Amino acid sequence: MPVANSGAKMTATLITRVLGVSALAATGLMAVLGLVISPPDVVQGEAVRMLYIHVPSIWIAYGGFALTSISSILFLRRSRRRPDQGRHYDRLAGSAAEVGVVFTAITLITGMLWGKVTWGTYWQWDARLTTTVLLFVTYLGYLALRRLPAEPAVRSRRAAVMALISFINVPIVHYSVDWWRTLHQKASLSVGRRPEITGEMYWTLLYSALAVTILATWLIIHRYRVIRLEELRDEEGLEALIASRLNKDFGSH
Amino acid sequence: MSEVATVVAGWGITFVILATYSIWVVFRGKGIGRELGIGETEQSDLEKDVGTITDS
Amino acid sequence: MDLTPLHEVEAPNDLRRRVHRRRRWSVLAISAVLIFAMAFITAQGLRNATLFFRNVDEAVEQRSELGERRFRIQGRVVPSSVKSESGLTTFEIVHNCVVASVLHSSDPPELFSSPWIPVVLEGHWLAGEVGTSVGSDTHYFSSDRMLVKHTNEYASANEQRVMEEPPEDFLDQCSFEVPAATS
Repeated sequence: MPVANSGAKMTATLITRVLGVSALAATGLMAVLGLVISPPDVVQGEAVRMLYIHVPSIWIAYGGFALTSISSILFLRRSRRRPDQGRHYDRLAGSAAEVGVVFTAITLITGMLWGKVTWGTYWQWDARLTTTVLLFVTYLGYLALRRLPAEPAVRSRRAAVMALISFINVPIVHYSVDWWRTLHQKASLSVGRRPEITGEMYWTLLYSALAVTILATWLIIHRYRVIRLEELRDEEGLEALIASRLNKDFGSH
Repeated sequence: MSEVATVVAGWGITFVILATYSIWVVFRGKGIGRELGIGETEQSDLEKDVGTITDS
Repeated sequence: MDLTPLHEVEAPNDLRRRVHRRRRWSVLAISAVLIFAMAFITAQGLRNATLFFRNVDEAVEQRSELGERRFRIQGRVVPSSVKSESGLTTFEIVHNCVVASVLHSSDPPELFSSPWIPVVLEGHWLAGEVGTSVGSDTHYFSSDRMLVKHTNEYASANEQRVMEEPPEDFLDQCSFEVPAATS
């Protein structure tokens, strides 16, 4: 028999508890490394410490949006034959996108603050900044579309298509600094190119990316479960409403 | 704004956003779970769902 | 036998629609705001993104066609050329071995003091004979807005890297030499 207060366990299993504690410890160590142990930069001074949150945040956002796209493809391929699998991929797409949006917002905010002390301005409409804010707004639109009232299958299908269209902007954001002239500097780390960051700073950046990845994974798993719970509640609520309405209509005769 | 103030603001805002979002997600889950009166039995079903994420 | 209900019973689908209708208008309003935001961002981006700045050599080459039109110019600051007096800063910027003289009229960002820092300046060409560290010029760039364009190179301040020298290979192909910083 269900126990009224045991709903708390719905979002906390042993695995996610361990992951949550790991995320907390990892971000704590990230703060120590990023704010205390890593050295100031020869040009930017203390402001370089923004690097350790700004850059990993956009990497996580890219990863979240990539996961949304992969899940959306799997949803579109499997939802007709296996509706249960389809719903699983739809939830995964939604939770990854929401976490991606949170990290894109962090990227934009930290970038603006960092820009003020280095560039001398919070904002410029250059290609990198413009495409990043467009990415943020597009995925906000995706999340809004997921909330539009419609049949669940239709809504999920629309969202999956929009996720795939929205992802086009991700490589544009990443390569905008190479394709166009921008105020924003080139990528901090690129595959096949020697990093332009010295030892301690380089390792702090990589560690920060790892810490933020653990946190994002924990958030995606929890958000997934919450979406599942929201679906259960909606189904239960609708059934109760229909039942009470039918009882009322038939009961009066 | 000085370099140090910028760093404090940037890291501070980041931690506030992440903490707020994390707390919101956890408490929303707990709230809806409580509303539905879901217990251990239903939990194992959900774990199966999440298991597919970590397995995939 | 007639099984028609005595009065019309609302079907479950109608109920479902009624439940959804409450949320529809708020979501539609949010969507409209988002679409407007996307259109605005795209318009802003298209206006600036393709040519955010001209490098010094291009701006000098296009000087006659640019006239006194406002644009952005990019180059590295020659450290020995920086002078400040009564709210005005004069200095030279260089890119691809072309030097331009600048008269800047607002407070420069803090990082401007870093030797050989790349800057983006907003302003226009003005006619006037000026001497530069590599000769003389018939025009100078009058700017009122400066953005520091820092690079993706990060080095520990503890390493005390020598910063007074121009970046590696930057002036190697040039037929002139820039004097060392006076400070």
